[in-house]
Amino acid sequence: MMGVVFNLLEAAVCRTYGEAQWYELLDKAGLDGAYTAIGNYPDTDAFRIVNAAAETLQLTPGEVLRWFGRESMTMLAERYRIFFDGHSSARTLLPTINRVIHAEVRKLYPNALLPDFSFEDAPADTLRMVYHSSRSLCDLAQGFIEGTALVFKEQITVEHPHCKLRGDHQCRFDIRFRELVPTKSPLAKD
Amino acid sequence: MPPDANDSTVAQLALLSRRLEREHRARLAAEVLAERGLRELYQTQQELRLLVSIADTANQASSITEVLRFAVTSICNHTGWEVGHAYLNHHLPAASPLRSARIWNDSINPLFAELRDLTEQRSLVASNGWPGRVLATRQPAWIRDLAAEPDAECRKLSAAGQIRAAFAFPVTVGDDVVALLEFYCTRVRDEDHSLLLLLSQVGIQLSRAVERKISQDRLLYDATHDALTGLPNRKSFRQLLAQTLLEAQQRNTQCAVLFIDLDHFKLVNDSMGHHAGDQLIVQVACRIRSSLQPLELPTSPDQSAQPFCAAALVARLGGDEFTILLDNVITESAPLQVAEQIQEALKQPFQINGQDVFTGASIGITLSAPGYYSGDEILRDADLAMYQAKSRGKSRCIVFDRSMRDQAARRLTIENDLRRALTKQEFLLNYQPIVALDNGEIIGFEALIRWRRAGDIVPPSDFIPIADEMGLIVPIGHWVLEEACRTLRDWQNQFPREKPITIGVNVSPRQFRQPNFVAQVRQALANARVEPSALTLEITEGATMGNPEQAIATLLELRNLGVKLSIDDFGTGYSSLSYLHRFPLHALKIDRSFIARIDGSFQSFQVVNSIMSLANNLGIGVVAEGIETTGQVEHLRSLLCRFGQGFHFSKPLSRADAHQLLAQSLLCVTR
Repeated sequence: MMGVVFNLLEAAVCRTYGEAQWYELLDKAGLDGAYTAIGNYPDTDAFRIVNAAAETLQLTPGEVLRWFGRESMTMLAERYRIFFDGHSSARTLLPTINRVIHAEVRKLYPNALLPDFSFEDAPADTLRMVYHSSRSLCDLAQGFIEGTALVFKEQITVEHPHCKLRGDHQCRFDIRFRELVPTKSPLAKD
Repeated sequence: MPPDANDSTVAQLALLSRRLEREHRARLAAEVLAERGLRELYQTQQELRLLVSIADTANQASSITEVLRFAVTSICNHTGWEVGHAYLNHHLPAASPLRSARIWNDSINPLFAELRDLTEQRSLVASNGWPGRVLATRQPAWIRDLAAEPDAECRKLSAAGQIRAAFAFPVTVGDDVVALLEFYCTRVRDEDHSLLLLLSQVGIQLSRAVERKISQDRLLYDATHDALTGLPNRKSFRQLLAQTLLEAQQRNTQCAVLFIDLDHFKLVNDSMGHHAGDQLIVQVACRIRSSLQPLELPTSPDQSAQPFCAAALVARLGGDEFTILLDNVITESAPLQVAEQIQEALKQPFQINGQDVFTGASIGITLSAPGYYSGDEILRDADLAMYQAKSRGKSRCIVFDRSMRDQAARRLTIENDLRRALTKQEFLLNYQPIVALDNGEIIGFEALIRWRRAGDIVPPSDFIPIADEMGLIVPIGHWVLEEACRTLRDWQNQFPREKPITIGVNVSPRQFRQPNFVAQVRQALANARVEPSALTLEITEGATMGNPEQAIATLLELRNLGVKLSIDDFGTGYSSLSYLHRFPLHALKIDRSFIARIDGSFQSFQVVNSIMSLANNLGIGVVAEGIETTGQVEHLRSLLCRFGQGFHFSKPLSRADAHQLLAQSLLCVTR
């Protein structure tokens, strides 16, 4: 797992729950928490922290991942502004994930395990994304999608009608874009 | 806790927080730096990978289009640009306009269909337009936004495919742009200098591939074409004939081969030099081609305009031999018509070094129909037919029939026997007396070769030309020289005279041009222990004219040796009077054809008269050949010709008979 994910997770936890909470999670997970953005760390480190958070927050690990995805996208947008330049909607940015964003990620992490997204025909107001990954971190992906909309202050609904974790042969997201309405704080929970 | 202690703890905490904050910012800055380094490293590796893969493909690919296709696709993948396309100059290495090679990274995307159509119809010229400017500068170029360009061409392209940015780079060989690769992107893109540098490198790799292809093509062309005329050579003619024969059999049609051999070519080569011979070949090739132009391969779709056959191909097999392949021969007379066309085309004189030179063509024809299984058989039979045409007189055209194979077999037997004739001692010399016309005294003999083959005497005309073609003339000539000298020694010993008996020996042009010819003569004289002045070497005009300066040098050496020299068959070859006075000659031998007509033809009389004057002016003697009548003797005497030979005096005699004749002292002139 890319070090930047740990950094983002730390930032998200500290921002929402305070720094002490982060150290509690680290202690619970038995990790020292020294992660640098350009490092690569075992996936299990991330899972141990997520599981610790789930236990603490009384959530499922999936819910934690989705929350994290949503929270971290605004920070990613600050750090990697270039990916967002030229876009005014998640609708145009999401289809560039494979070609533009992941291409950039590979420059930093040549061995990174990155998911692949394909796009299928859907009704006009819907973007249908299919998630392919050996890690099955579809909840994180959903959080990232929702977080992207938050960056653009768009209101969307994301349905996850097919999920490999639920036994389907693939994970599908139907993302429906609504009229622009005043958004809630990006930090607010559902 | 004392207040100052509390203050100190607060201050320390503040300090620690500040340090943490500073360390955090330093870490982030370090990560940004490291990321940039990683990105640049990645970029460099990718560029290197692109360059290496294109260089590898350029080294291994079998065709230029394959290399260009790979480069176009790789560069599109590398840059993420949507459209890549290559132009190619199809006529390497000549500089002609670049046209689309129809090489696209993606030739199906409907978004760019109009752009593809526009591009494929274009013919690029160096100009300010896009990408013509790359042709003009031979440098890579970049356009940030086509839609914003003042050039109408750019806006047209942009409109054709919602294209915004473009870049292009040339592939050059020497000063020629041989290919051009262009790329388009649907977004506005700032110029990427490092990408352009990379593309310059790619251009160099591609140009190496093109250069290699050009030299491969050149090698292939050279291997399959005659360097002098640019016509296909024997190798490619044979290949094409084999292929055409196969197709003809499958289609149940006929093809034909015309085998052409020039008349008098050897004479031109010998008398005017090889350079003149080459010029003649080039001009003949040109005339043959233009006389066949309406027929030449590839097949014209309008066959109605070609009444007798569909296509023709000319090749030069070597020397003065040309072949023509006629495909789809509709009537049996078609090849004859083509042959007539060629003979007609060669009728007019050729201008070589300011002189009119005449030639003609002996043509042999073979049709594929009667059961030929290989092109080589057809070619061989056409050659045989040509040989027949040649032997029946110049400028003839003969269609092959099977009896010619028997004749060819007979000739082959002669060749084989001839090879063994020297070792089997089958050659012998006859001697024809040369007499003084005023008193009939025998002053010497001309040695004439005969071949006793299986008991029969073969006349020289039946084997000398073959021996000449085979190169056997040189050892045979050497034997003649040695044998004649031995005879001379014996006769001089047995018939000592005040003016010793002389002997004339014919020297073939090929023998005369041997570098060690003078040494051979010197050796033969020494071996036989005879005076050089008793030996006359008879050479023909042709022997001297190929390289006159060399001939003069050889003749002077021979004269210095003491040998006498005469020109044989004078008046029949291409005499170069400008050289004649520089030849150290002792005599001209007037050809029998003039002597034969001296009685009845005033013109022949005048020719002989002129030769006499010429010889007198040059201070050399004359020997008349082929004297058969008293009248001829009288005429010659009246012209003050002093020497002669011919049946009137004596036919060529065996050595024994000649010996006998010498034993009698005089021969009656008038009998």
